[in-house]
Amino acid sequence: MIAVRDFTYTYPAAPRPALIDINLEIAPGQFVGVVGANGAGKSTLCYALSGFIPDFYRGDVKGSLSVAGRDLCKTPVAELAGEVGLVFANPFNQITGARFTVREELAFGLENLGRPRDEMVARVDEALRLTGLTELADRSPYALSGGQQQRVAIASVIVLRPKVLVLDEPTSQLDPVGAREVFETLDALTGEGATVILAEHKLEWIAAHADRVIALRGGRVAADGTPREVLADASAEELGLMPTRYTLAARLAATQGVVKRDGPLPVTLDEAREFFGGRQREGA
Amino acid sequence: MTNAFSLYTPRASALHRLHPLTMLALVVFCLVAGLALPGPWGPYVVFLLLILPLAALGQVLPNLLSTAVKIALPFAISVFLIQGLFWTGGTPVVELGPLSLKREGLWFAAQSTGRVLTVVSSFLLLSLTTRPDALMIALDQRGAPKTLTYIVLATIQIAPRFQAKARTILDAQRARGLETEGSVGRRVAALLPLVVPLVLGSIIDIEERAMALDARAFSRSGPKTSLLTLRDTSAQRAGRWLLLLGMIAVVALGIWLRRAA
Repeated sequence: MIAVRDFTYTYPAAPRPALIDINLEIAPGQFVGVVGANGAGKSTLCYALSGFIPDFYRGDVKGSLSVAGRDLCKTPVAELAGEVGLVFANPFNQITGARFTVREELAFGLENLGRPRDEMVARVDEALRLTGLTELADRSPYALSGGQQQRVAIASVIVLRPKVLVLDEPTSQLDPVGAREVFETLDALTGEGATVILAEHKLEWIAAHADRVIALRGGRVAADGTPREVLADASAEELGLMPTRYTLAARLAATQGVVKRDGPLPVTLDEAREFFGGRQREGA
Repeated sequence: MTNAFSLYTPRASALHRLHPLTMLALVVFCLVAGLALPGPWGPYVVFLLLILPLAALGQVLPNLLSTAVKIALPFAISVFLIQGLFWTGGTPVVELGPLSLKREGLWFAAQSTGRVLTVVSSFLLLSLTTRPDALMIALDQRGAPKTLTYIVLATIQIAPRFQAKARTILDAQRARGLETEGSVGRRVAALLPLVVPLVLGSIIDIEERAMALDARAFSRSGPKTSLLTLRDTSAQRAGRWLLLLGMIAVVALGIWLRRAA
């Protein structure tokens, strides 16, 4: 569904490209985590996958990028609202300020698309339900917590029913409760068949929720595979990725001879339980 | 839905049920009448016989009175003192040593205060009884530029957050030893470390906000719809035309009264 071919992008007046020779294919319904150190190109990839490059950010573009056969390099962002949605790190900046309740905020995009009122009501109700915001529908978006505001931002994008949802560090300003709310919402969305592309530093959350992880370094794809393949690999730290606490514990246990190391190290709690549990039983 | 910059006060009143454009026409009529009628008495007649009864009908009389007094009183005190004491020539009414209050100055101050009171209370009446977003949607539907209505609404909601951000930056700079109190020079010097991060941060915010709006088809051309339904009736449409005629009539009356005086 998403096809990126030999994509290289340089910001205006930048001395070198922010993305270099990116080649990716992302199937519908996948939950893809994009990881990497600061400056690796995560945000730039998010802007490219949501059409903001080159429509909003000009600069030098080479290669091609398409969603469902639609060339993102030639389509204005406003025309992509039903195809791709983008959620930013700062929930405050995504609230329009032009509507006074959460329900009206969610309807803003549909109003701009000229959808009939009956359809709007049904789609807003559905988005409220999916993001767990039904109880807050008549509150001001500015009267909500950070996590709730970020869910409003996500809801106001998914109400447009984009085939692809791109999120650029949506939990970076949230506490653990807010981050959990966001990830639960994303799980619900992938359950409904949406493709989710999430740039994120919280690797434990990525490991627990993503189907696939793409690691960037210096604007290039440095690793691409399952969370376990990418995040538990010894070379992950070279990419600027801090291994999850489960990987670190398993590595330490293996180094000190507490457990025998065979196969990949765990990256999630479930995998760690299996890793240590299986070996303890062997030991017993 | 109220906030520091939106005075809308929900009530189950007849005024709250009016179409926003009818309410706007009513308030503009009060405004025009207050400014068109001559003498100090003109604006006060409009204020006492039109605006206050309407505020009572809208169940917002205490809110209107308290806010109008807070805004108009400082103006009234200063204009009465300045115009009363420093009116060139004129008839002294009260002698205060070397100073004297002049009848003409007080007359002018009363007229100015009446006009300010009418303007302030008219806008308050509109703000207290009409949802700003409903008014903007109504104007949108009549062909007002969408960007303009967006700016008005976003300012109402975002300005308090901007103030909060300024306070946060100020607190952060104080925590790092910036002195913000004392002489004028020191206060002016303290402005730069406040303004620079505030302006730069706001520019970044604006870029992200513009992207978020674009992602929600804000700049898309073509017809728009609205979730909020605005109930308009033929009686209200007729009422708006009558108010327009009333404005013309009251302006004509004002001109006639001035000539007759």
